[in-house]
Amino acid sequence: MKVEGEHLFTGTQQQVWDLFRNTEVMAAALPGTKKMELVGENTYEAIMNVRVGPVAGEFSGQLVLSNEDHPNSYTMTVDGRGKPGFLKGVGDVILADQGANQTLMGYSGEVQIGGKLAAVGQRLIDTVAKSIIGQAFETLDNALAERENAESEGREADYHQSSEGDYAATVAKDLIKNVLKRKGSEEA
Amino acid sequence: MTYKVIGKRVKRVEDPRLLTGGALFVGDVNLPNMLYAAFFRSDYAHARIKSIDTSQAKLIPGVVGVYTAEDMGEAWEPGPPLVSPPPTLEDVVFNSRRQVPLVKDKVKHAGEIIAVVVAESRYIAEDAVEEIYVDYEPLPAVTDLEKCLEPGHTLVHDDLDTNLAAHLVQNKGDYEAAKKEADLVLKRKFKLDRGAAVAMENRGIVVDWDQKSQHLMVWDATQSPIPIRNGMAARLGLRTHQVRVVAPFVGGGFGPKIMMFYAEEMVLPWLTMKLNRPVKWIEDRKENFYATTQEREQIQEVEMALSKEGRILGIKQKIIHDTGAFNPYGLTTPLNTQSHSMGPYDVQNYNSEVFVVFTNKTIVTPVRGAGRPQGIYIVERMLDIACKDLGLDSREVRRLNFIPKDAFPYNHEIIDQAFAELVLDSGNYLPAYEKALEKIEYEKFIKEDQPRLRAEGKYVGIGVVPFIETTGVGPYEGARVAIEPSGKISAATGVGTQGQSHMTSFAQIIAEELGVEVEDVSLVSGDTAEIHWGTGTFASRGAVVAGNAVLAAASDVRKKVLKLASKILETPEDELELDGGLVRVADIPDKSISLGELAVLANPFRGAVEPGTEPGLESTKYFGPAYGATAFGVHGMILEVDPETMMIKIHKYVTVEDCGTMLNPLVVEGQIHGGVSMGIGNAYYEKLHYDENAQLLNASLADYLIPTSAEMPHIEVYHQNTPAPNNKLGTKGVGEAGAIPVPAAFAQALENALPDFDLEIIETPLSPNRLYELLYKSEE
Repeated sequence: MKVEGEHLFTGTQQQVWDLFRNTEVMAAALPGTKKMELVGENTYEAIMNVRVGPVAGEFSGQLVLSNEDHPNSYTMTVDGRGKPGFLKGVGDVILADQGANQTLMGYSGEVQIGGKLAAVGQRLIDTVAKSIIGQAFETLDNALAERENAESEGREADYHQSSEGDYAATVAKDLIKNVLKRKGSEEA
Repeated sequence: MTYKVIGKRVKRVEDPRLLTGGALFVGDVNLPNMLYAAFFRSDYAHARIKSIDTSQAKLIPGVVGVYTAEDMGEAWEPGPPLVSPPPTLEDVVFNSRRQVPLVKDKVKHAGEIIAVVVAESRYIAEDAVEEIYVDYEPLPAVTDLEKCLEPGHTLVHDDLDTNLAAHLVQNKGDYEAAKKEADLVLKRKFKLDRGAAVAMENRGIVVDWDQKSQHLMVWDATQSPIPIRNGMAARLGLRTHQVRVVAPFVGGGFGPKIMMFYAEEMVLPWLTMKLNRPVKWIEDRKENFYATTQEREQIQEVEMALSKEGRILGIKQKIIHDTGAFNPYGLTTPLNTQSHSMGPYDVQNYNSEVFVVFTNKTIVTPVRGAGRPQGIYIVERMLDIACKDLGLDSREVRRLNFIPKDAFPYNHEIIDQAFAELVLDSGNYLPAYEKALEKIEYEKFIKEDQPRLRAEGKYVGIGVVPFIETTGVGPYEGARVAIEPSGKISAATGVGTQGQSHMTSFAQIIAEELGVEVEDVSLVSGDTAEIHWGTGTFASRGAVVAGNAVLAAASDVRKKVLKLASKILETPEDELELDGGLVRVADIPDKSISLGELAVLANPFRGAVEPGTEPGLESTKYFGPAYGATAFGVHGMILEVDPETMMIKIHKYVTVEDCGTMLNPLVVEGQIHGGVSMGIGNAYYEKLHYDENAQLLNASLADYLIPTSAEMPHIEVYHQNTPAPNNKLGTKGVGEAGAIPVPAAFAQALENALPDFDLEIIETPLSPNRLYELLYKSEE
């Protein structure tokens, strides 16, 4: 499965770079994340609850960052497995300064899935993946704003993790949106 | 020959039990003290096992044991080699690699079993499976049939230096010379993909080792209980009489329930002997998609040489056949493809090279059709394409090429799946073809209906395809027939039933021979305690091989009846007749004796049976044909394509079948209906989607589409009878026939329906999505 896209952040390239290296922020941003910690240089371990249609369960895995070209690009390798199957992915992340406190992040990668996740969940996984990424960016936008506010107000930043309920609701909304979009484009 | 009972539309005697829930299936077998097994299966298609941790699973209350390959010790060995390559073919490469009970070191397809949990309930067993942790080293998967043969490619079996499972060439005449004479040489590359059999009942097995009687009782949803009994006894170091295998009612076989020796059939008997308790396992649907064998994946490069009149001068073919991770069933499927690649046509020059390859996909063994649909597909498609190139009528070209009636027996001069020369025993193809054209009203459709409907903007097309089906091959089957003291008949055959109506059609043969009612015959099929020798239900051979064994046994009992009755009634045998459960003197209706009385007299309490005779009115006989009986048929359909949704509606479906003598037309028609539904699935709905990591992406009935009643047309079935000359009944098989020509007929009809598009179909199965791509992708 191919995963690619881009997102425009409000913040400097360095701020965005730092954001992606903050495990607390990342854990909050990725829905269903129960734990995320740095276990070695550029190696993180995470436990995440994933639900794709009828397939649900806990995944544990490793995330490794490599080929770092600070603050422009890096490669991310994910390797996780759990009762519903496994996933493995490699992707490149590129940050580009757009001026005016704007940074464009582009990402592209290949994800392999297996087990029940592939066998029963593959019809839905594309939408679910996009939904997770979309929600993550929303959280990260908020995090950037919160960090700026906190700095200007001279307090500690407070990151809020959306509940799994919020997450499930958003996935459902995205699925419906997707169906409607498809229907719309067919009619057009 | 005129029959009184054979050939009649007798209602199935097994139906009341089946329809009221009174029939025994493996799932119904529940024994005191029984344990339940559940399996830990690999999510990876190709991975080395680094370690297995079962400690957490063992802690769950109710778990009796968790076992891996290591625990099996000496008992761990791969499944038996079932079918060797044909001994008469030269230079055959055959690398035999068989499935294992539990994976030791390297997983070779997703769904392979790494560990088994035995627990007090299935729930507990399944929960415990979730607590097993296996540390894998994932490896790249072998999926591509062509690339996998390139040097340096990842290997499925590390002890082979290739993914080549087998290689063989068959040749008839001189293709290259024929090609020089040709006006047209066509070349096409075909892709034929995988489907599942999707029997309504999944596999299942219950085993019960009795320590005191030293006896193993097995209920197994198998097509071949006798080979399973033999194999289990051999594996466990028991004598065959210590093992009884019962295949009770089985809810659909379609090939995959053959004596493959599935891992579960190796593991469960070992468990019951180890634990001294009965153990049960019933496959769930997801397991069925991963672990039950599949078929049809091939890539074929085909060349056909023709004259400008459309006469086939020769066919050259390269088949790459995917056998999945193992090849326990030898070369049966690709040999069948070869046997059908010349179709019903007189082809003098044929050269065919087969490469069988190992991949990290589920094991391939025959599925209803068993390589035949692929052969019929390529020859029929090539002819259709040739007709377009040469500007010929597709019907004329078929008429021109049919093997003529007086050419039978027709030797195709290649070796078939039974290792015999492919001799088509009999046939009369042209009249059946004409009958199909007439019944589907071909002329009227082309001249009137199609132009009118096209003017209305409708995309309608017609496809009519003839085919052969090699059936009724050896080695042999047996039957035992006995008259009980009650006058009722007990019979047994080793050919188990998965819906083929054995209890009715075999009873008809016995009723015919012994002059009793069909209801008075009780036939047991698939219980090794009832008959010792046999192979099983497959290759469309029940009615031919077992049917003629039943006839032989019943005829022998009839002889015994006449001999004894002649003595008692003091009347010569040729003046006696068997009718209504009695033996009568033909002219004196009152002078008679019942079969029951004769049975009692044949088993005396006192005195002695005469030397050279046997007690009872019983006989066991066997039948094995030198070569098979080849059936013929024609399927035609008229379909309509919705140009927006690409959905298909089949408006008319006609079949003409020639399966020789019909034992029961109702049963034959039922087989055709079932086969056609499977064929429609193979044509437009059923495809197993494997990704590049050999992960199956549609392993559920939500995503793997099978035709439902809504997709099924009304099927008109017509018959022709060209009796098989090599068996007394004159029967030919028909179990697989329905499925064989459908994708070819469907493709012809689809191309005919869409004349505005430059559509050439050289793949199957299709789907609405795929058809859309074929029609519009090239424009984008």
